[in-house]
Amino acid sequence: MTKRHAKIYWTGFTVIIALLVIAPLVLPEFWRRFLTEILIWGLLAMSSDLLIGYTGMVSFGHSAFFGLGMYGAAAAILMVKPPNLWLAILYGLAASAAVAMFVAYFSTRLRDIYFAITTLIFSQIFYVIIFTWTEVTGGENGLSFARPALGIPGVYTVPFTSTTLHWFVLAIVAISYLVLRRVTQSPFGMVLQSIRENEARTRAIGYPVERYKMVAVMLSGLFAGLAGVLYAIQNRFAAPDFVYFLISGEVVIFNVMGGIGTLLGPIVGAGFFLGLREGFSRLFPWIATTFDMPYLAEFPYLIPVGIIFILMVIFLPQGLLGFMKQRLNQ
Amino acid sequence: MSEDWKDQGWAKQFWYSGKTTRRRFIGTGAATAGALGATMLVPAPWRAAFGQAKPYKIGTLQPLSGAAASGGKTALVGTQMAVDRINKMGGINGRPIELLVADYESKPDVGRRKAEKLLVEDNIDAHQGGFLSNVCLACMPVFAEHKVVNLIGVCLDTTITTTKCDRYTFRTFDYAPSQAVGFAPYMTSKLGKRWHIVYADYAWGQSTKDAYAEQIKKQGGEVAGTTGIPLGTADMTPFLSKISGNFDGLFGIFFGRDGVTVANQAFDIGLTKKYKWAGDGAIAESTNIPAQGNKIEGFIGINRYIPVLDSPLNTPAHRKFFDDAVARLKQIDPSGPLPDRYVQSNYEAMNALKVGIEKSGFQGRADTPKLITALEGLEMKEGDDFPQGDKILRKEDHQAMLRQFIFEIKDGKHKIIEVIAASNVNYPAACSFT
Repeated sequence: MTKRHAKIYWTGFTVIIALLVIAPLVLPEFWRRFLTEILIWGLLAMSSDLLIGYTGMVSFGHSAFFGLGMYGAAAAILMVKPPNLWLAILYGLAASAAVAMFVAYFSTRLRDIYFAITTLIFSQIFYVIIFTWTEVTGGENGLSFARPALGIPGVYTVPFTSTTLHWFVLAIVAISYLVLRRVTQSPFGMVLQSIRENEARTRAIGYPVERYKMVAVMLSGLFAGLAGVLYAIQNRFAAPDFVYFLISGEVVIFNVMGGIGTLLGPIVGAGFFLGLREGFSRLFPWIATTFDMPYLAEFPYLIPVGIIFILMVIFLPQGLLGFMKQRLNQ
Repeated sequence: MSEDWKDQGWAKQFWYSGKTTRRRFIGTGAATAGALGATMLVPAPWRAAFGQAKPYKIGTLQPLSGAAASGGKTALVGTQMAVDRINKMGGINGRPIELLVADYESKPDVGRRKAEKLLVEDNIDAHQGGFLSNVCLACMPVFAEHKVVNLIGVCLDTTITTTKCDRYTFRTFDYAPSQAVGFAPYMTSKLGKRWHIVYADYAWGQSTKDAYAEQIKKQGGEVAGTTGIPLGTADMTPFLSKISGNFDGLFGIFFGRDGVTVANQAFDIGLTKKYKWAGDGAIAESTNIPAQGNKIEGFIGINRYIPVLDSPLNTPAHRKFFDDAVARLKQIDPSGPLPDRYVQSNYEAMNALKVGIEKSGFQGRADTPKLITALEGLEMKEGDDFPQGDKILRKEDHQAMLRQFIFEIKDGKHKIIEVIAASNVNYPAACSFT
């Protein structure tokens, strides 16, 4: 990156962060919460980009890391009185790290579709355990809990509002992005990209590929778990649905829509996809009411969302951010 | 014929003229996104069917897409039937109901978001709906936070009105513990003392199994064994084939597609011939019976609602409800299914809300405490509002007690064999509002 590029990059980064800081002060309540949720899903998508975009490994196990992060946070909040925010984060990270280590150990010996299927199976195993172990996990109904306050219990705490929660989430997502960016630009990150480009050659040079892949899966799982913790804190519940592999599928969609291998792209993809889904879910009832076409009120709005996704894969295979990058380079 | 469209002018223009470039695609996409964004910002105008009377805004969360879509659409029929009838009769206190439907795609995260949208953007006055228990439980704190009354439509999970109860949520239909109180005496006195329970192995199945086990024991019976089968198992034979031994009856706790599977496969391996075959009424819902054929013959179950016009359901009120529901269900499913308990419970929950609003003089959210007071202990009398029968909404836990029907499947139809009065299904309240 040249000096001029770096200047443009950091100016752009600062402007975006500033806009995201101001956003909750001007947005209505619903959109404020919606934006916070996009940041959380974006963090999850960004964590998977480390594997998909930088290491060339498509993981369908991210739902397990995300879900275990949620359940870890839930366990801390329900077991420790008064609920402690930092302990919730710690428990969530510990749970997701343990699962990531377990999954990484077995799955990184495999490549391509075999790796993807193995991670999917692991996520399903955790899903079934959580779904049926009702006494501990709440089973299908999940766990509900109160939101911990911001601060240090016993010293100083203040309850979260939707604005302070947004800022808290934004800070964590921004720090996570900077850490992941540093990781991908480090010698370690270069090796990951080398594995993506040519695994056999990387091994031939002398790099212990499996070890690098294991660390990549664990690091990715840790950030996915952090996203799970934030989601649990925002929504005050943990449910087995978040461990189900469909969540991993959505995360892959966020990556494809936003731009694989860009870190920021998946956040843009998450925002675009969730915004599209929310928009279409309102569009048809609005048309039905405004133009007196009641049969459109229950139109399956996910169909146009799917069509747009297909069109984007055809016309914008590099995703929204990848396309923008390409245009700027021109 | 199917390729004719390629010769059409617009198709040639679009695909073969080389004009659909990426730039055009992105331009069109941006315009569409703009239009979409505009609809998100512009609130839907309400068409005044009642002159200038301000409508009551009632939200309803239903799974209209995803895994529970078919049940959600059926449930919505009940809600819409009630709203149409209320509006036709002049609304509530002269004000119509504006129903705001939100599809939560059978997912709790979407459910939570849609609940927030209904509450903070649409400013609903109250909510009536909810289908999947996990989504109901995820959304309950949101309604409580905004201090809005929430009348559940279908969610069966016991904890909604026990350990996770809250002041704002009401359930105007039954739950497993009270059904077990009603059914266990019949089971142990008329069918047999020793039972084996086979159930869907997840929260609802497990809590329902525990409720029946408790009541069977209370009636002097015995549970010889239990078998949990994972939800959605297509081949239940490996589980069912292990069930054997010295007991009188097999009791099933399943719903939906699993209800069809267990009935068919238990019949195929001879379990339903060897033992008495009974269970939760959800196994033999009217929507399941065509797929079960003669294999469900002789099944004895309990349900709050069955689609028959025999006594005591041969009332003009029930006939009206039945005919309207059949006609509406035919519009969404041409095979013409009969109404099920989802239609009935949503219909009656909306009517309970209407009665509560009338009784309390509720005008809007600020009057929520008055509405809660009116709903607590509400006595619902059999009639056009409540065709299923009399019921009472308990003050202690916001749980309704209502009559139950023990039925048998004969010639592919439900046949009432015993009616249990609401007073005989009482289960002690186990809720403390904090």
